[in-house]
Amino acid sequence: MVRLSDLHPVEAEHLLKRAKDMPAVGPGDWVTPPSVEEATVAIVSTAGLHRRIDPPFTVGSLDYRLIPGDTQFDDLVLSHISANFDRSAFGEDPNIVFPIERLRDLASSGEIGGVARWHYSFMGAMPDPSQFEQAGEEIGRLMANDGVDIAFLVPI
Amino acid sequence: MATTSISLIREMSEAVVPPRALWVPFPLGRPLGAVDDSEFQKNVMRAAFSLLDTAIKPTIEDYEIKAPHDDLNENWSCPLNLGPASSDALSERLLAEVAMLRPWAIETRHQRGRTLFGVTGAGEDQIDDLARAFASIADAGDVISEPVVDGISWAFEMPLLLRHMADDLRTFYHEAIAAQPGDSSPDHDDLNRWIFSETVLGETLLLVADGLTEASDMPMAELVRGLLIPEGHYNGGSAFPEQVDFPIGQQAPAD
Repeated sequence: MVRLSDLHPVEAEHLLKRAKDMPAVGPGDWVTPPSVEEATVAIVSTAGLHRRIDPPFTVGSLDYRLIPGDTQFDDLVLSHISANFDRSAFGEDPNIVFPIERLRDLASSGEIGGVARWHYSFMGAMPDPSQFEQAGEEIGRLMANDGVDIAFLVPI
Repeated sequence: MATTSISLIREMSEAVVPPRALWVPFPLGRPLGAVDDSEFQKNVMRAAFSLLDTAIKPTIEDYEIKAPHDDLNENWSCPLNLGPASSDALSERLLAEVAMLRPWAIETRHQRGRTLFGVTGAGEDQIDDLARAFASIADAGDVISEPVVDGISWAFEMPLLLRHMADDLRTFYHEAIAAQPGDSSPDHDDLNRWIFSETVLGETLLLVADGLTEASDMPMAELVRGLLIPEGHYNGGSAFPEQVDFPIGQQAPAD
C-alpha cells in the first residue's frame, strides 16, 4: 500500500514534507469530455520514460518526450532520477507504467473510442508542479489538435 | 482537455487538487498494480475512466482492490549465491559479482527480448566496463572527473552520471534475479535489503555516496547522493541534504 505509514519512515517523512510544500495547481476550468466510449485517450506519464533515441531527462527537466502510439516496448527506457522505486516491474511488464496495450484492448472492446497517435512523458519528482504549466498547456493544445478527448495521467 | 489520473501518494494529490484522481493501493513504480495481468490493469483503468462520467467536481476516489500476490513476497531471499567475501580489490570483487550474475541477466534479456540497461550510454555488452569505472570512482573517491571508457559516450554529465551508472548496475542485478523463479518476487524493499546487505554493489554505492559527501562543495553533489541511495539506506537515514536546492528547467547535455 502506498500509505505513508507503509513506507520506510525516512521516505515517508520526505514525501510528507514534499506534499506540504507543494503548491496547488488546481482546480482549473472543469472540462466534461464526450462519453468514454466515444473518447480518444492519450497517456501522459511522469515516469521519465522515453525512447532510446531521445535525450534522457535530467534533474528538473520541464520538457517532454513524445512516445508514438506504435512504439515497441524494447525501445523504451526510464531515466527518472528517483532511487525510491525499483524499475523491475516496468522491466517485467511495461504496461504497468505505460499501459498502451491495455488502451488498445479497451479500444478493441469498444470501451473507449480510440487510442491517440501520440503520448507524452515528463520527468516526475518535481517539487513544484506548477513549473509544468507552459509544457502542459503546449501538449494540451497538441493533443486537442490530434483529436484527443482524454489525457490519462500516470505517475510512477 | 479532460483528465483523469492515477494517484500513488494521496497527500500529494490532495495538495495539487487534480480534477479526477484514483488513489490506488500499489507500491511506487507499479501504478497499474500487477504485472502481466491485463484484466487487473484494465479494471484499474476502467475505475479511473469512470470518474469522467461520475465526477462533477475535483474528486479523489479510493481504489480498494489490492494487487494479486501483493503479500507473497515476505521472506524473499536471493536464490543466487554470490560467493564468499574476499580481500580482493573492490573492482575485482564487483566484476566477479557481475560475472556470477551475467548468465541470468542474459537469460532475462533473452526471455523478454529487451533490457532497461544502457541509459548511461553504455551498450548492452559493456556491463564490465561500467562496473570497473564505477568501482574506480568508489575506490578513488573522485566524483568530479568524468570516467573515460573506450566506446562509451556518456549521456549525462558528472555528478548526475553517477546516479545513472548506479541505476544501470542495479538494472543488471534486478534483471539477473528476475530469471530465477523462486517462490515469490522481490519488492523494492527486498531488492534494497539485498543490494545493501549482501552485495559488493551495495558497498560500492555507499563508497560513491561518501565521495559525494566529501565533495559537498561541488554543485549538486549532495542532491545526487540523495538520488543515488534509496531512503533509509545511507547510515540508516536519508542521503538527501537537509536543504535541497532543486535545479529546475535543466536540459540533457547535447550530443
